[in-house]
Amino acid sequence: MIRFILLQNRQGKTRLSKWYVYYDDAEKIKLQNEVHRLIVCRDTKHTNFLEFRNYKIIYKRYAGLFFALCVDVSDNELTMLEFIHLYVEVLDKYFGNVCELDIVFNFNKAYSIFDEMIVGGEIIETSKQVIINAVKNIELLD
Amino acid sequence: MFHLSQMDQIFLKSLADVVRTSRTTSQYDKLTFTTQTIADIKNELQSRQESVRYQALLKLFFLAMEGNNIRWAEFQIINLMGSGDFQLKLGAQLAAHLVIDNQSQGLIMVTNVFIKEFKSSHIECSSTLSCLGTIANKDLSDSLLSHVLKLTTNTKPLIRKKAIAVLSKIFTINPLNIPGNLEMVIQQLQKETNISVLACGISLFCSIMKVAPKLYPLFLSIVYDQISKQKSNWLLIKLVRISNKLISLEPRFQGKLIEHYTRLLNQTNSKSLQYELIYSIMRHFKNHSQLYESAGDILKQFLNHQDPNLRCLGLECLTHISTSVGLMEFQEQILESFKKSDYFSKLQILQLFKDFTNQNNFQTVIEFFLKYSDMESNDKIIESLIFIITKDKFINVDDPEKLLLVYIPIIAQKIDSIDNAIRFKELLFELLTRVPGLKVYSDQLCNQILQTYATQSDSLQGPTLNIVKRHTQLKYSLNHREIIFKSLIMIVGESVKLLKLEALTNIIKFLEQLNILNCYESSLSDIDSLLFKIYIQIIKSDPENQIIPQMEQLIKNIYTKLHNISIVKISFFYESLIQIKSRDQLQQLYNLFEEDLPPINLEAQKLIKPPEGLDINKSFQIDISEIEKIKNTNSDYIEQKQLIQQQQQIEQNQGEQQDQNSEIQIKVENEEELKPLNNKIDQNANKIFIINRDEELPPGINQDDINKFKEEE
Repeated sequence: MIRFILLQNRQGKTRLSKWYVYYDDAEKIKLQNEVHRLIVCRDTKHTNFLEFRNYKIIYKRYAGLFFALCVDVSDNELTMLEFIHLYVEVLDKYFGNVCELDIVFNFNKAYSIFDEMIVGGEIIETSKQVIINAVKNIELLD
Repeated sequence: MFHLSQMDQIFLKSLADVVRTSRTTSQYDKLTFTTQTIADIKNELQSRQESVRYQALLKLFFLAMEGNNIRWAEFQIINLMGSGDFQLKLGAQLAAHLVIDNQSQGLIMVTNVFIKEFKSSHIECSSTLSCLGTIANKDLSDSLLSHVLKLTTNTKPLIRKKAIAVLSKIFTINPLNIPGNLEMVIQQLQKETNISVLACGISLFCSIMKVAPKLYPLFLSIVYDQISKQKSNWLLIKLVRISNKLISLEPRFQGKLIEHYTRLLNQTNSKSLQYELIYSIMRHFKNHSQLYESAGDILKQFLNHQDPNLRCLGLECLTHISTSVGLMEFQEQILESFKKSDYFSKLQILQLFKDFTNQNNFQTVIEFFLKYSDMESNDKIIESLIFIITKDKFINVDDPEKLLLVYIPIIAQKIDSIDNAIRFKELLFELLTRVPGLKVYSDQLCNQILQTYATQSDSLQGPTLNIVKRHTQLKYSLNHREIIFKSLIMIVGESVKLLKLEALTNIIKFLEQLNILNCYESSLSDIDSLLFKIYIQIIKSDPENQIIPQMEQLIKNIYTKLHNISIVKISFFYESLIQIKSRDQLQQLYNLFEEDLPPINLEAQKLIKPPEGLDINKSFQIDISEIEKIKNTNSDYIEQKQLIQQQQQIEQNQGEQQDQNSEIQIKVENEEELKPLNNKIDQNANKIFIINRDEELPPGINQDDINKFKEEE
C-alpha cells in the first residue's frame, strides 16, 4: 500500500503531496523535510529505494523534481518505480512537454490524475490511455 | 451570500494571480499577503457565482499547499461537495483531505452528500469514490458500505474498480464488515474480465490477508484460476505476491504453482515479475531443484547487473537463503557487487556475511572486506568483521596465529570509532584468554599497532581525549586510539613472563618516547604498572646483569618525562633488585647504588617536619660496615618476613593454577615450551637480614603474626 506521495523540488519545496494514511499537520511537515533530506543528497549510483522508519521510500528524479512514494516493506520496488514513470508520462501527454510550472499552476489537474491512478493507497489503473480518457471526460463536464 | 458586481469581478484575483504574487513576494511580506488573501477568500466563498467560489476554493487549496492552516474552511468545503456544479464539487472533493481527518465532526454531513453522489453520473460517482478512498474512517465506512457494495456491480469498469479499491480500505478499517460481504465480491470477480477490476480485487484479497488471514480459502481458487491464465504483468505481480502469502498458510498450494512459476520464469522479460518470482522461489521452493536452479541463474544476473537497483533487489532475495552452502554459490557475484554498491547495499551484503561466513570462506571474506573498505562504510565493515571473528567463540577461525599477527593489526589501523575500539579490545582479550599460547606474540602485536599509530602524523596532533559536553559539564572520554593502547598495554603486562629479554627492553624503549607519553596522557598509570611488571621480569631473567644498568637509566628517563617523579616507585626498583638478586650479583651492580640521594624536598618539609638533630643536607649513604651492623640486629625479623611472603606466594600460585586449569587445555603445552625462560628465576636467594626475637620488635611487625606463623609451623 502507498502511504503518501510527494513531489518536491531540489530546494525542498513540496509541489504536490497526497496522503493515504492519516498524519497530523505537524507530522506531515516533519515527514516532508525528512524525506527531502534523505533523497536530495543521493547520487545517481545509489539505488532508488531506501529504508525509512518501518517503510520504504521509492523515489525518482526528473529534472529538478523528486517524485517520492512511501510504501509498505512488502511492496515491489520495481513496480513502484514503473508507476512513477507512468505518472510522469501521463503528465507529459496531458500537458504536452510538462515542466514544474505546469504542476504549480495546474495542481488541481495533477491531483485529478492521481485520483484516476490510485485509490485508497492502491494502484487501480496502469493504462496511460484509460487514465487520459478519464481525465478528459472530467474536463468535459467542467 | 452576495453577488459581485462587474467592477468587482474585474479586480478579482484568479488562482494564477495568487500563485504569481506568492512566488514574487518576499518572506517578510508573505504574512501580509497571506492574511489579505485569506480575507478575500472568505468573502468570495460566500458569493452566489459558482465561478467565483471555484476560484476561491482553488486559491484556498494553494494556500494549504504553501503550509497555511485551512481547517476553518471545513464546513464551506463540505458544503461545496454537495454543490450542483460539478467543477465546484470536484474541487471540494480534491481539497477534502486537507481539512477532513479521522476525528472531523464534518464527516457526519459528508455521508448524505456521498449517498446522493453515488446515484449521479458515472464521472461524478467516480470522483466521489476517489474522495471516499482518501477520507474514509470507521463511521463513514459503516454507513456507506452497502452503497459501495452495490457499485461493485456497476456496468462501468471505472466504477467497479474504484468501488473494489474503496472496499479494500473499508475492510481494513473495520474487519467486522468482511463476513457476508466478501462472498458477494468474490462472486462478482469470478465473472469479471476487466484486468484493472481483477487487479483491484487481488489488492482487496491482499488487504484481507493482513486483517483476517483465515479467510484465505474463500479466494484461493480465484487466485489459482487467474495465475494460470493471465498475461498482464501487472496483474501477475499481484498474483505472485498473494500466492507467496497463501503458501505460508496452505503449503499444499505450493505444489500446484510449480508448473506456472516455471512457465512464467522462462517466458517473462519483465524484471519486476522476475524479482517477485525469484523472491517467492527462494523462500518457498528450495526443495524443487530445477525451479530453484532457474531462479538462481536469474538471481546471478541480478547480482551482476549494472543497475544498482537490481543488484540491491538480488541481495534482498539472498537473505532468504538459509544455509551458508547455498550462499557460497553466489559468493563471487556478491563480492563483485559490493565494490559497485552504495552504502545501504553494502550493509545488506555485510549482514549476509555475518550470518553465513564459515571456516571455508573466512579468510576470503576478511581479506576482501579489509581491502575494499571505504570511509563511508568502514565503521560497519569493522563491526561486522569483529562479529564474524568472535562468532560462536571463534568457530570460524582455524589459524589464530595468522589472525593475531596479520589481520588484527590491519583491523586496528582501520578502527576510527569508540564503539569499534571497545569491540576490538574485547576481541583481543577473549582471543588471548582462549588461546593463551598467543600471549608470546603480544609484544609483536603491540609494536606493530603502536608503531603505526606513532608514525601516522595525524594521530599525534593534540590529545587523545575527546572533550564531550554533556549538559553543562565538560567531561572527558577516551578516543579509540587510547582505548586500543590501554588494551595492548594490559595484554603485554599479562604476558610479561612469557616474553624474551630483548622484547622487554624494546617495549621500554618504545614507551620512553616523549611523543608517546604526551599522546597517551590518560594511560600513564597503565604504562606505570606495565613498567613495574617488565623490570621485575628483567631483573629475574638477566643473570649476567647486562641489561639492568641500561634499564635503570631508561626508567629514570621515563619518570622524569612523566613529571611525576615518585621516589617510592624508583625505590621499588632498587628494593626488587635487592630482593631478587644474590649478593654476588648485587656486587656487580654496585654502581647503581653509588648515586647520592637528593635531600628532602622543601615543600615536603612544610607538611612533615624532619626529626630534630637530623642534618637534612647530609647524604643518607651508609657504609657497608653500617649495613652489616644493622643486618645482624634485624636478621631474625627479615627471616620471618621472607617466610610469610613465601607462604603468601604459594597460596596465590595455587589459586591461579586452579583458574587456568578450568579454562583451557592448551596452556599446559605452552608452559612446557616456555619453561627454559621461566627457569632463569634465581633459586638460591640467600637471606640478608635476620629478626631479633628477644628484644623489642622493630616497628611494622605484629607479635600476633609471628605467633600465628609459629603455630602453623
